[in-house]
Amino acid sequence: MASIELDRVSKRYLENAYSVQDVDLKIEDGEFVIFLGPSGCGKSTTLRMIAGLESISSGELRIGGHNMNKVSPRDRNIAVVFQSYALYPHMSVFQNMAFGLKMRGADSSEIKRKVNDAAELLGLGSLLSRKPGALSGGQRQRVALGRAIVREPQAFLLDEPLSNLDAQLRAEMRLELTRLHRRLGRTMVHVTHDQIEAMTMGDRICIMREGRLVQSGKPLDVYANPADTFVARFLATPPMNLLPARLSKSFDGALSLEVESHLRLTIPIRHLPAYQHEAGKPVTVGIRAEDIYESQLDPRWQPIEVEVTSLEALGAENILTGRWGSLEIAARLGRRFLPRRGDRVTLYVDAEPVHLFYPETGKVIPRPPL
Amino acid sequence: MRKFGLHLGLLIACALIILPPLWALRTSLVPESMSYSTDWFPSLTLDNYRSLFERNHFLTYYANSLIVACGSVLLAMPFATATGYAFARFRTGGRLARFVVLATQMLPPVALVLPAFALLRGAGLSNSLTGLVIVYAALNLPFLTWILMGFFEGIPADLEWAAMTDGTSAWGAFWRIVLPISLPGLAAAAVLGFILSWNEFLFALVLSGPSTATIPVALAALQTSNGIQIGKVSAGVVLAIVPLMIGSIFVQRFFVKGLTFGSVK
Repeated sequence: MASIELDRVSKRYLENAYSVQDVDLKIEDGEFVIFLGPSGCGKSTTLRMIAGLESISSGELRIGGHNMNKVSPRDRNIAVVFQSYALYPHMSVFQNMAFGLKMRGADSSEIKRKVNDAAELLGLGSLLSRKPGALSGGQRQRVALGRAIVREPQAFLLDEPLSNLDAQLRAEMRLELTRLHRRLGRTMVHVTHDQIEAMTMGDRICIMREGRLVQSGKPLDVYANPADTFVARFLATPPMNLLPARLSKSFDGALSLEVESHLRLTIPIRHLPAYQHEAGKPVTVGIRAEDIYESQLDPRWQPIEVEVTSLEALGAENILTGRWGSLEIAARLGRRFLPRRGDRVTLYVDAEPVHLFYPETGKVIPRPPL
Repeated sequence: MRKFGLHLGLLIACALIILPPLWALRTSLVPESMSYSTDWFPSLTLDNYRSLFERNHFLTYYANSLIVACGSVLLAMPFATATGYAFARFRTGGRLARFVVLATQMLPPVALVLPAFALLRGAGLSNSLTGLVIVYAALNLPFLTWILMGFFEGIPADLEWAAMTDGTSAWGAFWRIVLPISLPGLAAAAVLGFILSWNEFLFALVLSGPSTATIPVALAALQTSNGIQIGKVSAGVVLAIVPLMIGSIFVQRFFVKGLTFGSVK
């Protein structure tokens, strides 16, 4: 059983400075969990605490139900794949992969069998006698994976393993890692700052910021129901549009958002119960770029006038940045829509998935999920 | 035109550095009486060399230098390696320890010579090769530690972490992973230590005796009341330089490798 439990785990490095604070998380056996967050948020430190490479200042770490706080890395039966791969440069691929088994006293026939199996699984068969210096980045990455697989650990910890690969290779490896997880069925903890990896690879994502675990849940759930503005903006490209507004109630009970004097958005009726009590107060409106469209395919979508300031044509789609009133807004539009800079265009906002946040704390104003 | 000036300058600088040893080489192969003649090669002879070995027991001094230089390096390296690694990885002793190590190098040797003499005398090791080996090891230790510390800092800690999760202890990671990778750096440091010991004069002068003298001392002794026997001194200088040249070529190759080292992306 390789569940990993973090019970209010913290890492202190000075009197009052924490790099990780009160992380509370239970990872089930066989789950693929992603730690996502900006640089310096503590995700790598948390991973290293699970691995035993970093001591735990307070809280408890349990792997398979047993307390592991003081257990040395080699006795935890976990394998780590580092961002830099950390292949032993003076050893061949075969020896790199065999090292862990050798340290645990496996005999040479067993080592040979396991290394060859893993090499075949990862397509490394022809590279076994080469040294890491003679391999490409993608090959080295697979050797690092092979080294981890061969040990048949109870959990895999991956510290941004795909960061050093080019985009195409990264896309391939994303699929391969997911396939590997399905095949091996072991617990995997994957640290990344890349949201595509986070969205596509994990059973669950855990968003971290400044040492704290901000939100965890299934990727699409977290996407659809962000807990605060940070999560909302982080899990999207381009980031979610956050606009200051005032929630006002009209005489007939309808709620609308006054973004600026002439700019309004009507709150859909189904959200009225959730937002009633905030009527009259300032709020932050979150509109995703992908919820803005160039044509009104649904009559409920609300028109807005935007002056185009820039258009990024990405091939498959376009990212338009413009001004709605005095506010900057970004929209993800179809690839055939190509206005020029300075043009005034009418875009249509789907207000159903809109989120409202408290301006002071950034926390979401709860409403039932769609 | 400017390039010509640059080349000329470089040529002059090279000449200033190369001509003295070349002159020593030439003088060593020329009979004593013709040492200062203006002809470059009036007549060639190996008499100077022969005389050094036959009459001045140069072989003994050569052996002494080799024993002392090699011995001090062998003695100092394990300590320097372990200390350098501790400084680099575990920040043992903090900045104070590092500063102290560096500070000992700033002491003028003259200040240390007499205390060293007194200590060796007390231990019954004065005028002995053993005593000199110990003193040289102690003298070179800070320098070697510093070099090795810098070298270890350049090796990413990832490799040791990978080894520890793979199943080694911290010591195992050092022994099986860091050391094999560091061999070029260790070799370079060892050769540097060798060169420092080989060239050392002051401590050798004070701490060694007639039969345990090293080459620098022996060469100085060629300055007799009859004047300096420049032919023999030149021969001695040439012989003294040979191991250093071999060592330098060796160090150069590994230094480059050590400086551009990067096993991890």
